[in-house]
Amino acid sequence: MGKNAKRAAFIGIGEVPTGRFPETAAIYHAIESAKLAIRDAGIDKDEIDYVMPTASLYSPAFNTELVTCRIVEELGLKNVNKNCQVFAGGSSSSCALQLASSLIETGKAKTVLFVHADRLGTGVTAQGGIDLFSTAGISAEWEVPFGQHYSAIAALATNRYKFETGCTDEELSAVCVSNRKWARLNPNAFFNKKDITIEEVMASKMLSTPLRAKQSNMLFDGGGAFVLTSAERAPDLCPRPVYILGEGGTVTHFVYSQEPDVSRFGWAKAGKKAFEEAGLTPKDMDVAEIYDSYPIYQMIGLEELGFCERGEAGKLFVSGDTWPGGRLPCTTNGGMLSQGHTGAGGAVALLIEAVRQLMGKAGDRQVRDARFAVETATGGTYMDAQVTVLGTEIP
Amino acid sequence: MTTIEKPVPVVNPWAKPFWDAANKEKLVFQHCKGCDKNIFYPRIACPECFSDDLEWIEASGKGRVYTYTVVESNAPSAFVGDMPYVIAIVKLEEGVQFLSNIVGCDPHSVVCEMPVEVVFERLNDAFTLPKFTPMQG
Ligand SMILES: [Zn+2]
Repeated sequence: MGKNAKRAAFIGIGEVPTGRFPETAAIYHAIESAKLAIRDAGIDKDEIDYVMPTASLYSPAFNTELVTCRIVEELGLKNVNKNCQVFAGGSSSSCALQLASSLIETGKAKTVLFVHADRLGTGVTAQGGIDLFSTAGISAEWEVPFGQHYSAIAALATNRYKFETGCTDEELSAVCVSNRKWARLNPNAFFNKKDITIEEVMASKMLSTPLRAKQSNMLFDGGGAFVLTSAERAPDLCPRPVYILGEGGTVTHFVYSQEPDVSRFGWAKAGKKAFEEAGLTPKDMDVAEIYDSYPIYQMIGLEELGFCERGEAGKLFVSGDTWPGGRLPCTTNGGMLSQGHTGAGGAVALLIEAVRQLMGKAGDRQVRDARFAVETATGGTYMDAQVTVLGTEIP
Repeated sequence: MTTIEKPVPVVNPWAKPFWDAANKEKLVFQHCKGCDKNIFYPRIACPECFSDDLEWIEASGKGRVYTYTVVESNAPSAFVGDMPYVIAIVKLEEGVQFLSNIVGCDPHSVVCEMPVEVVFERLNDAFTLPKFTPMQG
């Protein structure tokens, strides 16, 4: 018990399919995901004492409902003492996880329900989405006037990385191939019907050089939820709880053009802290759920965390090492590139996938005997690097 | 087709000297008298040593392209008519860096580490934007 006393654990996860659901109310994605997570945990819904929704981007009115306890009332949760939104853009899941586990570790909360839902697939128009992502988190004084946009931001990192490492467009495209192979095995992924080839990726429309349309995430509707409790209680409730073993974060910028190194960011420092706290190394990881809003970030993430040398990540995606059956299963839900991007939910889905793999609930894409996983998240214009190490045992 | 007006910089009061200078076709940044560091973008106190003792100095206007991209599709609404256009992070000789556009050349001729110098483009009556062009010679 000693080691367990000071930790939190996942006991349930829930997720709805990522896609376009114009007939469905946004709140459905939140409460259905939450319902699935509570049932997965096998607890009475009234054991939830803390609800932590993250933000929805598509509608301020819907987000206000999340802030003002709609999830609690819709689900009829009778013993909630706080409903408190935690939002850090794409890093929301990591930040919420750290806060929720701290509340549990200090006894301020017993059972925390985290929920995400958004409707970026049907709640905004295509150009509306582009305009949202050319202003949200982008400096209105120093970047918006120059036509900045998230595709351009990814392209700026990609060009510098290519310049410094010699990485090829084929290698960048191979990230999409790898993630699509995983998505094919994921019923909740939007792009799960057919494989994609390097040639198809490279023939797709140029967005911002060298970034092409099929190297870009797409925005969809979706939701996810998880339930946390103390590591002490978890084994009584869940046959295979997942423990939070290590966590590390680095904030590097607000204005993207102030980032000192757009081909590294803060991943190395954040990863080192997370692995040290866990007492583990990249070699111990059975699964790596690496943030992939664009291929460049998944490559940099693997390298900076220490899974391979700088400039070598591309080879892992080309060779099949990162594919189903490979030696380094990476972003096994298909990621934002193939499951789909749901705003703050991109990394929520990765975190849920890490837990799903460790709980042994990943179906056709289950990585056999997965015991340890690392998951990464980043928000805004890659303003921070958040790394979480999880495991089915406390080493 | 209606043209959408270009977004103008949302100016913080302490950054106003930068935009006033740009209107006079001068590129300026802050310098900290406490620790001798050059500062961009403008701050209320030095981001290195936290001193309030900041002054404005004029930049050489010369720098190099740290990284760049040519926007060919999916531009923000107000920039759709500008495509293809180059977005770049420029590092000035003085060590500060910022986002701008590379103009006055074939967009596809821009590369990392290319030497560039400042030019000024009038946006409207109130604003002039510092942009960069390949260094001559
Ligand atoms: Zn100073």
